[in-house]
Amino acid sequence: MAINEEAILKSEVRWAWIVGAIVAVILIAILYAALAMHINPPSNREYADPKTLHLSAEFTEANLGTRVGTDGQIVARVIATQFEFVPNCFVLPANRDVTIRLTSPDVIHGILVTGTNVNTMVIPGYVAQVHTRFTKTGDLLMPCHEFCGLGHSQMLATVRVVPPAEFHPDANGRASCGNRG
Amino acid sequence: MAERPGPASEHDYANDAEELERLEAAMDEAPKGALLVSGIAVGLLLIGWLGLYFLVFLPRGPVG
Repeated sequence: MAINEEAILKSEVRWAWIVGAIVAVILIAILYAALAMHINPPSNREYADPKTLHLSAEFTEANLGTRVGTDGQIVARVIATQFEFVPNCFVLPANRDVTIRLTSPDVIHGILVTGTNVNTMVIPGYVAQVHTRFTKTGDLLMPCHEFCGLGHSQMLATVRVVPPAEFHPDANGRASCGNRG
Repeated sequence: MAERPGPASEHDYANDAEELERLEAAMDEAPKGALLVSGIAVGLLLIGWLGLYFLVFLPRGPVG
């Protein structure tokens, strides 16, 4: 008895081509997202001493929240701490490039902004940075998505995305959920 | 006490030429069925992946 080895080899080679084509399609889709749509995993290597965050230049209490720099760059700075975000609401304009910078003074946290691809870990000692552009307006929920202790489920913030016409930073370039203008 | 049932038949299937022919024919057909099942499984997986990619991932906008 001889099983038709030639036919089996043929079907295996055909199947290998099909699988190769599927892998190629997925790779092309990932490259398209990365190069044409600018969707990449947030990556940043920057240090911040968790013991002196409140004394550092960037993450002092007065500097938290949204600020428009002199170069027009819109940056929101947030501290993730057990079990809240400071500030727990920050405002950003839609259809503008914005940067969210976060750090933690205590344990590992994580954030995601619902309905968007914003998603990063917040690790004490490091600054997590996400560049994005919100396309829809509204109050978006930003929960902690890394279990950080007993109050983890209560740890959430709001990202208020407003139309660019309603985004009015004050004279210092500061904008908060209270002064939408 | 019931006796244990013996073999249904004493026929020697392993050396039956007709049986071997039928086995060979079945083995020739087997890869088609396997390809169909694996094709459906992988096809559904690919459709699911592309659906999430185009309908969920891309509309969620840029990040980096």
